[in-house]
Amino acid sequence: MTLFILRRLLALLPMLFAVTLLVFALMSLAPGDFLTPVKAQRDINPALIAELQKSFGLDRPWYEQYALWLGNVLHLDFGYSWTYKVPVAQLIAQRAPATLLLSLTSLLLAWTLAIPLAVLAAARPGGWIDRITSAAAYFALAIPEFFLALLAVWMAARTGWFPIGGLTSLDHDFLSPSSQLLDIAYHLILPTLVLGLGGVAGTLRVLRANVLDVLQAEYVTAARAKGLPEKIVLFRHVLRNALNPLLSTVGYAFAGLLSGSLLVENVMNYPGLGRLVYEAFIREDQFVVLGSVVVGCSLLIIGNLLSDLALAWSDPRVRYGR
Amino acid sequence: MLRLCFLLPLLATAFSSCTPKSKVAREKHQLPAGVDISKHEIGRQGGVFIDSTPGEPSTFNPLVSEDATSSGFIGLFLDSLVHNNPVTQEVEPGLSTRWEIAADNKTFTFHLRQGVCWSDGHPFTADDVVFTFQAIYDPRFPNRAAFDLSVDGKKFTIEKINDLTVRLTTPEIYAPFLETVGGVGLLPKHELESAFRDGSLLKAWNVSIAQKEPRRLLATGPFRLRSYQPAERIVFEANPHYWRADTQGVRLPYVDYLVTKLVKDANASTLAFATGQTDAEGLSPDNVAWIDRYATRYGFSVFNRGPSPNTGFIWFNQNPGKDASGKPFVPPHKLAWFTDRRFRQAVSHGIDREGLVRGVLFGRGQPLWGPETPANKKWYNPNVTQYPFNPARSMELLTQSGFSLGPDQKLRDRLGNIVEFTLNTNQENQLRANMATAFKENMRDLGITVNLSFLDFGTLVGKIQDSYDYEAGMLGLTGGGDPAGGISVFSSKGRLHQWHPNQKSPATPWEARIDQLMSDQLHTLDYPTRKKYFDEVQKIMSDETPYIYLVTANAYVGLKDRWKNIRIPPLGSLVWNLDELWTPLITP
Repeated sequence: MTLFILRRLLALLPMLFAVTLLVFALMSLAPGDFLTPVKAQRDINPALIAELQKSFGLDRPWYEQYALWLGNVLHLDFGYSWTYKVPVAQLIAQRAPATLLLSLTSLLLAWTLAIPLAVLAAARPGGWIDRITSAAAYFALAIPEFFLALLAVWMAARTGWFPIGGLTSLDHDFLSPSSQLLDIAYHLILPTLVLGLGGVAGTLRVLRANVLDVLQAEYVTAARAKGLPEKIVLFRHVLRNALNPLLSTVGYAFAGLLSGSLLVENVMNYPGLGRLVYEAFIREDQFVVLGSVVVGCSLLIIGNLLSDLALAWSDPRVRYGR
Repeated sequence: MLRLCFLLPLLATAFSSCTPKSKVAREKHQLPAGVDISKHEIGRQGGVFIDSTPGEPSTFNPLVSEDATSSGFIGLFLDSLVHNNPVTQEVEPGLSTRWEIAADNKTFTFHLRQGVCWSDGHPFTADDVVFTFQAIYDPRFPNRAAFDLSVDGKKFTIEKINDLTVRLTTPEIYAPFLETVGGVGLLPKHELESAFRDGSLLKAWNVSIAQKEPRRLLATGPFRLRSYQPAERIVFEANPHYWRADTQGVRLPYVDYLVTKLVKDANASTLAFATGQTDAEGLSPDNVAWIDRYATRYGFSVFNRGPSPNTGFIWFNQNPGKDASGKPFVPPHKLAWFTDRRFRQAVSHGIDREGLVRGVLFGRGQPLWGPETPANKKWYNPNVTQYPFNPARSMELLTQSGFSLGPDQKLRDRLGNIVEFTLNTNQENQLRANMATAFKENMRDLGITVNLSFLDFGTLVGKIQDSYDYEAGMLGLTGGGDPAGGISVFSSKGRLHQWHPNQKSPATPWEARIDQLMSDQLHTLDYPTRKKYFDEVQKIMSDETPYIYLVTANAYVGLKDRWKNIRIPPLGSLVWNLDELWTPLITP
């Protein structure tokens, strides 16, 4: 088992190398660089621009810049943001909690809503719960997240029921700690709904199919024949067995923890990593971009590893097959 | 809020206690001996001023700041020796109460204000001033100010005379000395000296420190940082050690808090104002009409600041050079048109600027004929050559230069080449894109074919400054301020001398003349003489039309009516006297 984990983690290295190399090459192909806006200002001395270029290494070819960066990364130094003059790791750590919070609440929403609904829908296929949830799920899957976000912002602006973007109110600093918590919860409602709705629909569809499958199993008939109440049959015997495939989606959910909400964050003015990364892309603040790519890739691989492990833990067949 | 209570009673209770209570207890400190008494209307302490800004400050360290957003925030808490009053365009006392200029016009002695303290109570002295200049000139910390505060690469010297007197000497006579010194935010020696010693000064006062330890950003200005939440907001509070008071001895600023929402882009910022969420906003001409409709509902007014300092222009690439492969940047026959003054003048006469103002700016602007707009009252020359819309005059000039209109209504030069060029501009600016389209129509009437190319800003700057492979460009520059700021544009050596940048020696006699004038105006302190020189620069620019100036839009400011004592400058920040602003209505 440890060998398996080690092998998977080692596979991370060549992949990170390839992805960052690609990102670096693409960014150097893009027109302009970080200093372009500075060059367009009329009262900046050319000597200063030359000096900045030299200190950023922008006067060297891109592969040399990449090699330098890679060398520093081997010493666990991910460089610093040219815009903010702050180490990239520190900058990402500064913004990550907000994004993590949003990802977790929307994941929680997706699972708490999807699991009972899926079981109920599958219990009576073609029944009214099934039909309504299916229709709603197709609808939710068909709407792109950013559009849903736009709709939510529009709704918030029209009705005034919800704040328009942000994570805290203007007077957050002046509130008592409990009110501060409520304030954050209040601001989280809309982005959570927007980000969670797609998750609800996806999870619902997968789980419903699984529950239907499991319902055909002989042990379910046996349980029913024993006279167990339907509730226990469904939620204790059926659900437990139907959850397996969902465990493999945990990996993807994990991978998306920090990067899945990029679009929604930008549309809804949410103060997380999304806006930081987007702005870094636009400004070509390359180490911030690379740092976020490294984080995203690592999470993807670690997430997949975790879901494999979870699967092995819950389903002995996977373990014995190995 | 009512509907919300109905929906979410639990959450709603959290919001019934909105905004700080009307009376905020401030730290009480004695006014400094050298207190400056504001002569404006007496107000009342209290209130929260809310505005928004697109983007994010990248730093709170003046040595690092290169963008207007960061510099704006730094200006709120770091004060300087003198202030440039944007309303009068005069230099006023700041942290120094008076200064003397020696007979050699190179030695300036500043007398510091007595009894001023940093926001932590530590006295502000000549040591802080000397420290600031040491930090700026230190080669370990490359920064923008080091270049602004030097003449021909030579630094100013600074010496401390006593605790409240410093003397600065410039190596040559340097005309914009007071203006540039006015922009230098002075740093606290006692707080930053250790960072200076160990070489980490550029990392001091970064966004991360501002978030964790806002109080370490010591202030001499009207405000000090209270909190910074990235991508959300910055809260400043009144600096309890600020050195200004009103005639009744009440310490300024009147407002308790200054809250800036950090929003994604200019649209979001405008929208926040239009929906009553913020107190002040700079408005572009195309937004004025629809925003004005909400004025009564949210209690604000829109003020016209008059012409903005922003210029818009078209120019032709006159660079005779060749690229690495030996191909000329501009095809020789086109270069012949572009370097022909009459051709450029004919194009200028062919532009319907009144039409541009009406059609693109909705009447909120005016034609522009020279490099400065009327916003720059102190330096604007109204007597430059104008090129009113006159296609007949254009044809006359073109005929004189050997161009002729064929039977197919296409203009041809002496050698029979059809006159056609590509105009490059950046795609991000909608008003500019509209102007480019109108220009294309105007040129068609002269028989000239213009192809438009809308590029990404980075690509455009690359073409203009590095590869030079383009025919014509359309951009804008923010003017205003001292002529010294325009040297990179006007001087033939300049980086932004866009029609032919970085010349070894001036290509034309008129460019040589401009070089001379720009150098002369820099080396005298006498305003009338400088004005005379710079007037001539503006006149030559309009005569030779290397830049064909288009229009300048008016600038507008929206402001909530509850604020009193407002001075809106024609240039720069929306409100010049934030420290004197007050409101009779404390709760928004």
